[in-house]
Amino acid sequence: MSDVDGHFLRLARRTALGVIGVGALGYGLWPRKPRSVAEIGVGRTVVDYWEKWTGPEGEAMQRVVDVFNGSQGRIFVRRIPVSDITSKAKVAIGGGDPPDVLGLYSYSVPQFAYAKAAMALDDAALGEHALDASVYAPAVAKLLTFEGRLWGGVSSTYSLALYRNRAMFKEAGLDPDRPPRTVSELDAMSQRFEKRAANGGLERVGFLHTLPAWWPYFWPIMFGGSLFDEASKKVLIASPECVKTYAWVQRTMARLGPDAAAQISGNFSRFFHSAKDPFISGAVPMIVQGPWIANFIRIHRPELDYDASPVPVDDGMYDEPNGLLNAARPTGMLEADVLMIPRGCKHPLEAAEFIKFTQRQEVQEAFCREHAKASPLAKVSGEFLRTHPNRAIGTHVAITQSGAVQVLPQTPVWQAYADLITSAFDKICNGAAVSETLGAVGQRAQQMVDIAETRRA
Amino acid sequence: MKQGRLQVGKRAGKTAGSTARNVATARAAAGGMLWISPWLAGLLLLFVIPAGYALWFSLCDYSLLSRPVYVGLENYRELLGDERVWRSGINSAVYAVASVIGATGLSLAIAVLLDMGLKGSGVVRAIVFAPTLVPVVSACVVWGWLFNQQFGLINTVIRLVTGMSPLEGPDWIGSARLAMPSLIVMSLWTIGSSLMIASAALRDVPRSLYEAASIDGMGALRRLWHVTIPMISPALLFNALMSVVWSLQVFAQPQIMTKGGPGDSTITYSMSVYAAGFVYGRMGYACALAWVQALVIFAVAGCVLLAARRFVYYRAA
Repeated sequence: MSDVDGHFLRLARRTALGVIGVGALGYGLWPRKPRSVAEIGVGRTVVDYWEKWTGPEGEAMQRVVDVFNGSQGRIFVRRIPVSDITSKAKVAIGGGDPPDVLGLYSYSVPQFAYAKAAMALDDAALGEHALDASVYAPAVAKLLTFEGRLWGGVSSTYSLALYRNRAMFKEAGLDPDRPPRTVSELDAMSQRFEKRAANGGLERVGFLHTLPAWWPYFWPIMFGGSLFDEASKKVLIASPECVKTYAWVQRTMARLGPDAAAQISGNFSRFFHSAKDPFISGAVPMIVQGPWIANFIRIHRPELDYDASPVPVDDGMYDEPNGLLNAARPTGMLEADVLMIPRGCKHPLEAAEFIKFTQRQEVQEAFCREHAKASPLAKVSGEFLRTHPNRAIGTHVAITQSGAVQVLPQTPVWQAYADLITSAFDKICNGAAVSETLGAVGQRAQQMVDIAETRRA
Repeated sequence: MKQGRLQVGKRAGKTAGSTARNVATARAAAGGMLWISPWLAGLLLLFVIPAGYALWFSLCDYSLLSRPVYVGLENYRELLGDERVWRSGINSAVYAVASVIGATGLSLAIAVLLDMGLKGSGVVRAIVFAPTLVPVVSACVVWGWLFNQQFGLINTVIRLVTGMSPLEGPDWIGSARLAMPSLIVMSLWTIGSSLMIASAALRDVPRSLYEAASIDGMGALRRLWHVTIPMISPALLFNALMSVVWSLQVFAQPQIMTKGGPGDSTITYSMSVYAAGFVYGRMGYACALAWVQALVIFAVAGCVLLAARRFVYYRAA
């Protein structure tokens, strides 16, 4: 062996010994139990709960967890905030090491249930901790159910409504108690608020579909349209109602100027839920938002005089006697945050006990109050309505309880379908032919649905 | 007899010497293998095995949530008709071509200027290199604000120069026309590594060649074309090749800044792969997309290397 080789081998040996030594030292010094577990107390089963919420919303959920942990001495729920939770949940389940409880979205239900990646929570094996679909408002039960089984509990539910700035309505000579009821009224009222600069640029709008641009799939509801027929598994985005909807969107953008409209929504895109939020700051008088906006109003501009109503409907659809909250007609869309038990978790029974606890009326109402949302349960107490921080809670409760409220398409390909709609929406706003664009979306989405169904069969 | 013994002894000595040499060679090889074993383990665990798995999954219906089910070439057949995938592929190609040409050209131009020995060239080199040390997410946030239509520095400067009103100015990443060019411009921000390689290559060009070219009456541009570029062509090839490979995989910048919009104008192929696998839960389809991407990148890199045979000048050869 040459001197150089010998030198290298000695060096390699020393390096290897050094690495082993450092590893052994690290192992020796590493605490046997993480601090988070050491503080739990002896004999309690630790239930790991992944939740997407952070900030005040996460703290509200932590309070529910704390109440549960304090209510008994056998189980300790450990809430772990996780970003991009759906992807991470899939990886954890696929890898065989999921948490015990997952805080997902209602659109996750079909995907996870389809793949049998979650436990049915109405299973008799769960005994007294099994959930009963009848305690929820009908649309909420539908969100939690896939092919007849209940796959999740609710952590919160939300509907979208048209929020209006009453003070701005008064200034514009409009009745602050009279929201727009039809699309024509919405257009007319909106135009009263529009303001252009000397060079023709837009300074203010009354209402804009892209403020915020978070739910481009929402608007067909206003024209009686639907995105998906669950019975026949047909994608309906190219239906006459949907074409009419997006033609209306395109007309509005053309009137305002697509670039000017994009500019306004772009300017606000970084400021939603802040003091510079278009609605909270008083820049835009009408906006479609969820109930949580009330919490941000309370933080940033408590004096704001606002109210909310169900979104207006196509002119032919409105009938005076029943008003906007017509139980026979969908006037809103409902989504929910759900609690699920992933397949392969370590403590399914304890997880079920925790979820069952969160579904109690008093727990749900306390939590929904903190999130400024409507209760997902069929029964709503008078105190909940009286003490709720969202002054438009009546509207959200009515939408939630409506038998005709729509829910997102119950198909495992929904997210891919939603992305196609988002892309098409952008194109339509910029002048693309409505029928052709929606036709292309429908064709591709139907192909994905068909593939999913065929492979399942 | 004596001679015979001598021959046997010689043969034995020869054999013993050969065995000793073989042992030494084997030990040296073992030492070498030991030194590269971390890399080999990494290659095996992080590339060969995952790539093999991905190939298998690409032939399956696999959602991560349930066991893969073999479907043959169905995923590949589906992606051929997926308009959004084609759109993302075209966008990636446009991004790659523009950013490779831009980055290679710009890094060469700056390297040539720095090689002229101007004052402060060290500072300029450091400034150009610094952005490569910034994490991509931070860079995207900074560029997001620079491009902001209302408050961005770029539009503020444009307004100061042109006298536009506060609300006017291009919507750099909010407009379908401007979003992709804006991302390409942003990609030029990180030419530091290419610049360093080009600068190092320039220092290696013999000065005598420039003197000879000057004596022959060549001007600066002709010296650049006929002396500098051929002499540093291996470094330029390396820069271009790495740039092609990275830009065809671009993901973070459009994902963070535009989410692929408006209207799919900035969706890239890697975003389609990510969405298919981790958002839509179609890991089998995502693996098929990823394999196609890998093959395309291999093919493009192969074409670049083939073209290099003709255009790249290796002095040693």
